[in-house]
Amino acid sequence: MPVIVFAVIALTMPFWFPLVGGYAGLDTKILIWAIFAIGFDILLGFTGYLSFGHAAFFGVSAYVTGLMLLHYSANIIPAMIASVIVTTIIAVMVGFLTLRRSGIYFSILTLAFGEMFYAAALSIFSDWTGGDNGLTGLPTPELFSMPFKENNVFYLVAVLAIIGYYIARRIGNSPFGMMLRAVKSNQTRLEFTGLDVKKYKLSAFVISAIYASVAGSLMVIYEPYVATEFVHWSTSGKLVIMSVLGGVGTLFGPMIGAAFMLYFENVISAFLQEQWLLVLGLVFMFIVIFLPGGFVEGAQRLKRAIAGKAGDGNASKGASE
Amino acid sequence: MSERKTGKSGGWSRRGILKAGATAGAVSALSIGTPTFFIKDAWAQKAIGNFPVKGKSVVFGFNVPQTGAYADEGADELRAYKLAVKHLNEGGGMLETLKPSSLKGNGLLGKKVEYVVGDTQTNPDAARTSARRMIERDKVIMFGGGSSSAVAIAQQYLAQELGVIFMCGLTHSNDTTGKDKRRYGFRHFFNAYMSGKALAPVLAKEYGKDRRAFHLTADYTWGHTQYESIKQFTEKEGWTTVGNIMTPLKATDFSQFLTAVLNSDADVLVLNHYGKNMINSLTQAVEFGMRDMQKNGKQFEIVVPLYSRLMAQGAGPANIDGVLGTTNWNWTLQDAGSQAFVKSFEAEYGFPPSQAAQTCYVQTLLYANACERAGTFYPPEVIKALEDFEFEGTGPGKTLYRGGDHQCFKDILVVRGKGPDKKKGKYDLLEIVDQVKREDVIYPVNTFPGELGPYEPA
Repeated sequence: MPVIVFAVIALTMPFWFPLVGGYAGLDTKILIWAIFAIGFDILLGFTGYLSFGHAAFFGVSAYVTGLMLLHYSANIIPAMIASVIVTTIIAVMVGFLTLRRSGIYFSILTLAFGEMFYAAALSIFSDWTGGDNGLTGLPTPELFSMPFKENNVFYLVAVLAIIGYYIARRIGNSPFGMMLRAVKSNQTRLEFTGLDVKKYKLSAFVISAIYASVAGSLMVIYEPYVATEFVHWSTSGKLVIMSVLGGVGTLFGPMIGAAFMLYFENVISAFLQEQWLLVLGLVFMFIVIFLPGGFVEGAQRLKRAIAGKAGDGNASKGASE
Repeated sequence: MSERKTGKSGGWSRRGILKAGATAGAVSALSIGTPTFFIKDAWAQKAIGNFPVKGKSVVFGFNVPQTGAYADEGADELRAYKLAVKHLNEGGGMLETLKPSSLKGNGLLGKKVEYVVGDTQTNPDAARTSARRMIERDKVIMFGGGSSSAVAIAQQYLAQELGVIFMCGLTHSNDTTGKDKRRYGFRHFFNAYMSGKALAPVLAKEYGKDRRAFHLTADYTWGHTQYESIKQFTEKEGWTTVGNIMTPLKATDFSQFLTAVLNSDADVLVLNHYGKNMINSLTQAVEFGMRDMQKNGKQFEIVVPLYSRLMAQGAGPANIDGVLGTTNWNWTLQDAGSQAFVKSFEAEYGFPPSQAAQTCYVQTLLYANACERAGTFYPPEVIKALEDFEFEGTGPGKTLYRGGDHQCFKDILVVRGKGPDKKKGKYDLLEIVDQVKREDVIYPVNTFPGELGPYEPA
């Protein structure tokens, strides 16, 4: 079962990750982004709605967590719960307004909403958010008055990532997931069967936002600091790039994409110095042009090629058609 | 640790004595290989950050903007850092002029100095991630660099959290050593408050006391505090502040903001911009004809409170001709320290260093010197060695690293841009109008709120 494979990979990360040039801390960040990416794939991969505003959910959640830690209590549980609740409310509102349109119009609308949150964080809420400096001076997060950092955070994130992946797979295989895929393939036809498509779309949107809020909240617990970057559209953009790199709609792919992107940004960039963005751009272009299904498609092709060499050519032909 | 516990409890059991003996044996065995940190008060020095340093080398982390609006500064900072490491290992440069100095030019506390590099992307989040990589994977004992105050502040908090000293690069916001000062963060560079204090009298003398100023300000901590400081000190001289627009850091087109300036009754434009922001806004202001304009019966003037040779170069001599501002340091200074640095930098790279390069270079040397003085890499001791350290030979006059807020105080420069007809050579772009004495720019430590925090991170 893929969930078990993922669980093993994730939980053993502290042991094998340093061997490939990683370091403690980056593994946590990768898994946080993986949660974010799984949630995004529920929306983009299943329903085909490309949101450019997910940074808003991630960022708002991060700010709520930060403010809760700062003003209410350093305990992470109320902070996480509050972030998820606030984000869910916002997601319902944004989803209600933006899901009336599809395709590029939906993308632009979500982008506009995202930028609105960014602008608000920098202007009218800047006394709360710390403006461009980000929210600094947060206490060390605690879990029942026990300082919560480093390894503890990693295992919390890993467990949540595994649960997140499990739920996402369950959703994918459920009748509800089938509906979401139906939205992607032909929304009008689905509507003519008498179903309330809006409800399904909104559910997918909100679920995806909840994943984003969990990730945003964990980000602040992992590192008690909120950057304005979290609400900026470039965070949404990064998420889209991760999904495309990994393979949209595969759930596992976007997580690989997240791992690749962060690994590239933090480990490979040290070798490439200032050219790292350029190289990343080239990799992205290469994937979009030659491997539209991302790393997952690459892996499948490789598997087929190996299987094909073993004399099973017909099977691969059948699969590609 | 076990030994200390036994001692405190008072009961010397057979087991306790054996344990203590074993520990003492282990310590003496260790101290042969690593003499510095175990001999001196062994029990006071617990592991903090990446202390103790293992192996034959010690690693510094240089986190500079390699992409974004401040990339030029970042590239120059990196050049300076490489030079500083070279001088620490092999001698030369300011090692010969820094006084008092404990640096020997054969590494640091018997270890070879090495370094790793990261990209801050002029983005606090990216900078923190990059710094974390240096601290957790590369085990740096100190990190430094950066060209944005928001980035510097974010990293200072990280430094305090993880117990690794951060030597700020170019950061000019009052907040860095004001409300966001941290025990593990140190700043050699001057700040907006000193700029305002030094610049305002010169502006009043040159342009008159009844000027009306309009500000364009980069919208983050540095811009905000510089706007406040310049406003405060120019208004003290009798100026009026007509308006201010906060411009996004990522902006490249300033024409809409400049139009607002033109439509106001201001006769001075203050650009609280740095790096590529300033290059763009100044160039566009000149294209708007602002420098040839008459307003309120006076010549329209442009002021750039924080100046650098790199920016002057980017904007071009024709645009900066006569524009006033302040700078931390300029390569044309004639004191022995500056000359030693300029000579070795030019020998290495073929052109003179910028103020960003100078501050980063000096910071690295000061950190290294503090380690030598403390005789250890143990962060609390190194911090104490830096606090209230007074030195000379890194620029004009004496410099004080104030212990109360980790801010350096030294002479700063009021400069004027040199036009194409006045400059001698490609890099001779700034003329020093006034060297403002340290006594005239220093301010009481309680001018800004904020606490440094503990010597040992929680």
